[in-house]
Amino acid sequence: MIYRRPFLTFVAASALFPFSVRAQAADRASAFVKTTGDRLVAVVNNPGATGAKRTEMTQIIDAAVDVDGVGRFCLGRYWRQATSEQQKRYLTLFHEVLVTNITAKLGEYQGVRFTMGRSRPQDDEVVVSTVVERPNNPPTAVDWIISNPSSDPKIIDVVAEGTSLRLTQRSDYASYLTHNNNDINALITAMKTQVSQSS
Amino acid sequence: MRSLSRSRPSFYGTTWLLACLALVVTSLTGCATKPPASDPDALADYEQTNDPLEPTNRVFYAVNNGIDTVILRPAALAYRAVVPSPMREGVHNMLTNMGTPVQLANDMMEGKPRRAGDTVMRFAINTTVGVLGIFDVAKKWGYPDHDADFGMTLAMWGVPEGPFLFLPVLGPTDPRDAAGFGVDIVMDPFTWVGGSHDTGLTVFKWTRFSLNAIDARERVLDSVDQIKKTALDPYATFRSLYRQHRHAQIEKLRNDDPATVPVWFPQPANASAK
Repeated sequence: MIYRRPFLTFVAASALFPFSVRAQAADRASAFVKTTGDRLVAVVNNPGATGAKRTEMTQIIDAAVDVDGVGRFCLGRYWRQATSEQQKRYLTLFHEVLVTNITAKLGEYQGVRFTMGRSRPQDDEVVVSTVVERPNNPPTAVDWIISNPSSDPKIIDVVAEGTSLRLTQRSDYASYLTHNNNDINALITAMKTQVSQSS
Repeated sequence: MRSLSRSRPSFYGTTWLLACLALVVTSLTGCATKPPASDPDALADYEQTNDPLEPTNRVFYAVNNGIDTVILRPAALAYRAVVPSPMREGVHNMLTNMGTPVQLANDMMEGKPRRAGDTVMRFAINTTVGVLGIFDVAKKWGYPDHDADFGMTLAMWGVPEGPFLFLPVLGPTDPRDAAGFGVDIVMDPFTWVGGSHDTGLTVFKWTRFSLNAIDARERVLDSVDQIKKTALDPYATFRSLYRQHRHAQIEKLRNDDPATVPVWFPQPANASAK
């Protein structure tokens, strides 16, 4: 009889084990988003030169985002059609474009704030919810999709008010390619122009 | 109190306008060419995009863009420059509060009693404590706002969205949401009060209409500017964003079934709160 309680505890604990692993992954992903978000906000709110800000931004994005993975996703079916040379040039440019776009989205706002919401596992990933507040703009619900939450967490998508950044980017590229004879070089040229215009 | 009069509801004008536009659309209709079956990837893309009227839609996108550049965007910029942020928030809240009848009707038709209850509580609290809806007190008291329109109601009833449409003035939409927009106007009590002889009400209605447009535009000023700056094909980007946003709204609506547990009853464990 004395052993019954520890035994029951053991049963309960082992039954809960899978949940606790998932919960742990969610906690880690949440902590990862908090750290990354804090770093981003610190850079944005720090009054400094745009060039220096961009360098810092690039460092954070390199460390936190699976840029190559997102880039491949955004090219969709054209990734397989591209030559390895085109793939390489595309990914390099995609990296630049991503930094430019994120800087454009956040860079102009002194006083960005974000509050952490709950996080939940979804398939192999973890979705971390936050609310981002930018001055002059209504608060936006932003979900961060984190891959490999336990081992090597990386951001693979950002979903703002239900709209996925990578899905939107993918349809933008797909449409551009459809209207330019499916020519990947045309896309690369357009991306190049985009980067040179904004930096 | 003013008596209700049903003479010449102002939405006739809108309907007439829409009918004319529909005529223009059908006569202008150019169709996107469907890729051949030999190119399954391209065909899959075409079907996923579901935008058979793309050439016509792009024309209206250009027209709307022109109108926006000349009228709506400058108006929204001026509104932002002149009216301070807390006051704009108050105006937005007031406009939202005036949309209560349409929201409530849709909540009920969607079969979401909890949402309908939230809407009633929000109206009761914000109209009184929130001073005619200027302050969103209800949100702080645990009754957050939610989206409801007849397009969403139709989605709940199983009506498919149909192909993508870009309509003049209305912007990105689809047949289901465009129909929903019309039905929402019909359901709005403000459509039916007053007549052409009633100057006060006419002014009020037009002010509300314009303020709604400017408020909506002001809230997306920065986002739209950024999209136009960063997208290679803004039309395709808006198309994707519109669809994703609608799908997310409808998905949220579908899954919004909180358990109703009286406060005096033992609360369920956290498992259900997941």
